[in-house]
Amino acid sequence: MDKVIAEKKKITRSNLITFAMVIIAYVIVEIMINTGNVSSLFKGLLVPLCIYSILAVSLNLVVGISGELSLGHAGFMCIGAFASSTWSMIMKSTSMPEGLRFFIAIVIGAVTAAFFGFLIGIPVLRLKGDYLAIVTLAFGEIIKNLVNALYFGIDANGLHFSLEDSMHLNMDGGTIIIKGAQGITGTPKNSNFTIGVILLLIVLFIVLNLINSRTGRAVMAIRDNRIAAESVGLNATKFKLLAFTISAAIAGVGGVLYAHNLSSLQALPKNFGYNQSIMILVFVVMGGIGNIRGSVVAAVVLTVLPELLRGLSDYRMLIYAVVLILMMLCTSAPSWIQYRERIMMSFGKNKKVNGKESN
Amino acid sequence: MAAMLKVDSLGISFGGLKAVDNFNVEIEKNELYGLIGPNGAGKTTVFNLLTGVYQPTSGQIVLGDDNITGLDCEAISKKGIARTFQNIRLFSQLSVLDNVKVGLHNRHEYSTLDGIFRTPKFRKIEREMDEKALSLLKVFDLDGFCNYKASNLPYGQQRKLEIARALATDPKLLLLDEPAAGMNPNETEELMNTIRLVRDKFDMTILLIEHDMKLVSGICDRLTVLNFGQVLKQGQTQDVLHDPEVVKAYLGD
Ligand SMILES: Nc1ncnc2c1ncn2[C@@H]1O[C@H](COP(=O)(O)OP(=O)(O)OP(=O)(O)O)[C@@H](O)[C@H]1O
Ligand SMILES: [Mg+2]
Repeated sequence: MDKVIAEKKKITRSNLITFAMVIIAYVIVEIMINTGNVSSLFKGLLVPLCIYSILAVSLNLVVGISGELSLGHAGFMCIGAFASSTWSMIMKSTSMPEGLRFFIAIVIGAVTAAFFGFLIGIPVLRLKGDYLAIVTLAFGEIIKNLVNALYFGIDANGLHFSLEDSMHLNMDGGTIIIKGAQGITGTPKNSNFTIGVILLLIVLFIVLNLINSRTGRAVMAIRDNRIAAESVGLNATKFKLLAFTISAAIAGVGGVLYAHNLSSLQALPKNFGYNQSIMILVFVVMGGIGNIRGSVVAAVVLTVLPELLRGLSDYRMLIYAVVLILMMLCTSAPSWIQYRERIMMSFGKNKKVNGKESN
Repeated sequence: MAAMLKVDSLGISFGGLKAVDNFNVEIEKNELYGLIGPNGAGKTTVFNLLTGVYQPTSGQIVLGDDNITGLDCEAISKKGIARTFQNIRLFSQLSVLDNVKVGLHNRHEYSTLDGIFRTPKFRKIEREMDEKALSLLKVFDLDGFCNYKASNLPYGQQRKLEIARALATDPKLLLLDEPAAGMNPNETEELMNTIRLVRDKFDMTILLIEHDMKLVSGICDRLTVLNFGQVLKQGQTQDVLHDPEVVKAYLGD
């Protein structure tokens, strides 16, 4: 029992370190802002840092913990962004307090994205194999294109949808909220660094505790060996679906932050397209698959670095590709693994590896 | 004495191949029963039928008083059949302790929300699970390895961990698929003691597949010999092993 308790303490400590890192980084940045040591460029990066960290953690839940590949996480972000932004636009003119309105916007973003995650997951996660990657890839692109074609307005008669143009909404006065490719203009700017950090901490709390619970163990067991997991009475589809839905909800929250950080929201390949999904995957792979703290670190480093090396921005995707290949070699090629283990040994790392996600 | 497992004319075909055909067996409570036969005879397929991995094309399976024919893996595990695999299937990235705790999943429950919010219920049940899992590991002398990653255990210990995980589901019937495969004579000897211990300590009914005749004749009360998917012989271990037909078809000279 002593060993078990010691192990639990180790995991708790590791989780606390993750929270502490985020909080300390936040405090340092706040101090720097208040002493006027932060460029406006960097200030503009603060909310995106939170968004990408949240998305990386979300995707790691699918890729690292559940062992499925999703190539459409930007799609869930897109859904969270547009659903919550629509809500905020509708309620903007009412007397609802801003804080409450934004809180509900977050819930709406999360729930809508979760709903779509669940819907996609039901048929796909029954299958054994990498079907999720293909379906989510298609889903991400479809959602982006659909939103680009979507017109949505509200008037005294209720809600109006169209996939043609604003004329087809048949509006009787009222306001048009989503204007096709022009998207939504005028979303209230409710996101800020503090809220971003709070949401990141909540997401970390949920994901880390989930991983170190009965449910998380079941999800990881199914990842490691589906047949054995079913033989001890686990319903593989149910747990994969649960992890995927939670992940989609979290990605939706990232979308809410995104939408409420800019006054104009459009579904572009740049923000909600395939490249964005891959970028989030890069964060996850670089931070270590299954390593939650690593995801946050990688998201921050890989978002800040390119800005610091502005001159290299044209080569950004190229550099990512090279680094990704190196990472894969480093983590998968036997000779590299041997080499890495030798180095670890020489640092006196304990050979006894802790099998559990402990970050 | 009522049978713990009663299988009646069980069969399955893959395409045209009748992998198992008209298979019958009755295993009594607390019995140690052996299933033997040449490679490809259909032994593992019988296990897959009993545990719901495959659905039988004919026949029925009764466990205790429950007709479990046609149920899926999850339901059958809950009814009380647990197994190990011919090629070890552990949760390789999880710790030894967590492998057993996954086995306890359906016997010690709290909700996902309890887990996320670390409620008192979460703490209490986790503690129970830790204690239960450790006591199971102790039976197999694995408690010292509880924090090891399962894939880092030596081969023999991995086999034992698989049995411990199966027992964690609190089964009525334990199926072991070639538990001695890849073991040297000393390890096999030790394994025989472990299997006997499991039977006595947990009052367990065990059905095992094995090619090692020393183990089979050492611990099995009764045997069924399977050949080309059909029962070739059934009866007391020594009678079956000396049957001329069995010697000819399987044991050789
Ligand atoms: N899913 C499947 N699809 C098609 N054929 C199968 C399937 N599973 C088993 N078989 C076939 O059924 C027959 C019995 O296989 P099984 O694995 O049960 O043999 P076994 O008695 O366990 O052999 P061994 O001693 O080698 O483990 C084999 O011919 C095998 O190829
Ligand atoms: Mg077999």
